[in-house]
Amino acid sequence: MYRESDVVYRYDGSFEGFLCCVFESISQKEIPFDILPWDFAATTLFSEKDIPTEIAKATRVKSSFSKKLGKAAPTCIAHAFLSCHPQKELLLLRFLILGYAKGPAVLSMAGHPDVAPVLAMEKQVSSEAHQFTGFLRFCDYGEFLGSTISPKNYVLPLLRLHFCQRYPSENFLIYDQTHNAVLLYFNGVSEYLILDKPPVFPAVSAEEQAYQTMWKQFYQTISISARENPRCRQTHCPKRYRVNMTELADER
Amino acid sequence: MDLMQKLTILADSAKYDVACTSSGVNRGGAHGSIGSASAPGICHTFSADGRCVSLLKVLMTNVCTFDCAYCVNRRSNDVPRAAFTPQELADLTIQFYRRNYIEGLFLSSAVLVNPDYTTEQMIKALELLRGPYRFRGYIHAKAIPGADPLLIQRLGILADRLSVNIELPSAASLDRLAPDKKKASILTPMKQIAVGHAQNRKELAVYRNAPKFAPAGQSTQMIVGATPETDRQILKLTEGLYHRYSLKRVFYSAYIPVSQDSRLPALDTKPPLLREHRLYQADWLLRFYHFDADEILDDDNPNFDPFLDPKCNWALHHLEQFPVDINRAPLEMLLRVPGIGPKSAKRIVQARRHSQLGLDELKRIGVVLKRAQYFIVCKGFTSAHGTNRRAIASALIDPNVFTAHTEQLSLFSLGETPQLSAAGISPDLTLPQAKEAAISCIANRM
Ligand code: SF4
Repeated sequence: MYRESDVVYRYDGSFEGFLCCVFESISQKEIPFDILPWDFAATTLFSEKDIPTEIAKATRVKSSFSKKLGKAAPTCIAHAFLSCHPQKELLLLRFLILGYAKGPAVLSMAGHPDVAPVLAMEKQVSSEAHQFTGFLRFCDYGEFLGSTISPKNYVLPLLRLHFCQRYPSENFLIYDQTHNAVLLYFNGVSEYLILDKPPVFPAVSAEEQAYQTMWKQFYQTISISARENPRCRQTHCPKRYRVNMTELADER
Repeated sequence: MDLMQKLTILADSAKYDVACTSSGVNRGGAHGSIGSASAPGICHTFSADGRCVSLLKVLMTNVCTFDCAYCVNRRSNDVPRAAFTPQELADLTIQFYRRNYIEGLFLSSAVLVNPDYTTEQMIKALELLRGPYRFRGYIHAKAIPGADPLLIQRLGILADRLSVNIELPSAASLDRLAPDKKKASILTPMKQIAVGHAQNRKELAVYRNAPKFAPAGQSTQMIVGATPETDRQILKLTEGLYHRYSLKRVFYSAYIPVSQDSRLPALDTKPPLLREHRLYQADWLLRFYHFDADEILDDDNPNFDPFLDPKCNWALHHLEQFPVDINRAPLEMLLRVPGIGPKSAKRIVQARRHSQLGLDELKRIGVVLKRAQYFIVCKGFTSAHGTNRRAIASALIDPNVFTAHTEQLSLFSLGETPQLSAAGISPDLTLPQAKEAAISCIANRM
């Protein structure tokens, strides 16, 4: 049996770091009060335990996923970890503890209180990433295509494969404003960077301007005025996406 | 004429075509090319009318030799005309695609010179895209009725999806409003595409590298409200099309008056959006809920209920089949419970293998208990079945019909909807009053 403990785990915020927290919890048979990244404001009430990131431990935990929880589990867990939910670590931990007891069945126990939140996080992350595969806009800066997005969840890893496949011959850069992170794809090689300050994009050429204008014009023209329905548009394309969308950015 | 003007004219004349989906085919990227496709489809933006914009939807040309009464591009209509060259269109598609504005191209056309000439122009544009530009994104092309079958075959090798619009829901209406089109000229290419698609699948099973013919299948569209067919006739036709021509999708488009013509509804007629919405809901029941058209509408009720979606309406007419036992009922029966969709039905079936489900579990699975509670029993809950009829009616009534927002009219504002006045709801009632009246009306019928 696991003991509910008052200790707070601190880790480096990486997925591997989190896996080491899982290792600690399972070997101590304790469920911490919370699991927080180091850069998160300190709690005063509870004692804290620093969990160092050790690749060997992380690898052991990671390989247990597909062995004990079934083939679909690794992806589900990795995606849920990208969630912006403030308690994602603890929710995932409870799910994993249940999973180690129940086996691969755990993923189909959608009505269980320890499973439903993880499925919900996974769904939220994947659907936000899916939205961005469509709502993201590139601007042609000559040397490369550049884009800025403001996602709630850390979706860059889910966008990487999609855009690298789609534009294999282009160079591009996607800047995630929320997490100050960048996905770079240059000369066929992709990498992530964390920035201290926003990137500065070059000026826009006349040709680029012309395509933006044509796109806006197409966007205006394609709508049928007798069917105007702002509420429906709002549901499908919420305001938070629009700030970075060429055709909608200057609409009030 | 510059490209901007052409784009404006040719997008404007394409906008009444409803389909803008990019679904049905998965295709990864490839070295040295541009583009990919994803089977669920991707929406790139939503226009002010709330519709998904996924493809660059334009006509090759809007110059037409035909004179279909319901169409803006008909020969006798005085509108600006334009035509893209294949090169212009291919360039524009690639430039929009690189910027991630679009998922691909939806190319249709009016009939310039004759159906064969028009189709050849379209083929040229698509050959540029698939050839020199190495474009692997999505292409939906319209097959022009009357075009040579060999040309349609070539078009199908270049495109992911083909469509032939059925336009109007009966041969009689076609004769009256589209004198240049015959039912046969529409059904012949549809048949050819269905057969071609099926044959191609067999070839692909043997030769993996055989060229693919319209891998995302075919779709069609019909105009609703320009002609006198009932909802039942339209739904039966839809069902027939799904079965006989294995269509992937049937789209409906509420008629928007485009001309003063004694054969058509008056110019100030509002598009029947509620009716169109109900048709899509019923279409959904055919495709994902194992319903037959005859279960949804019959001779006594040939038209949709304005206040209830077709599934709730069916449930209220078949109360004897409820309550359904969540922990035992087969999937098909779970799907008939108001408040349970295909996703939650599947999850219920999986989850109940591990433990008996109660209300808490159902809620976490995503069941809408507000509706479902009257139709189910589960662990620790013996159903609100048989409780007062008003409560059931007010849980099931379609909220979209009775919501209004200060800054805007509801999806279907009351006065605009002839169905509502036909059902005895006077247009000068306030929204809450009208809703109460509708609830009583449903409760009395039960
Ligand atoms: S053939 Fe097509 S474009 Fe021409 S009038 Fe008829 S519907 Fe319109």
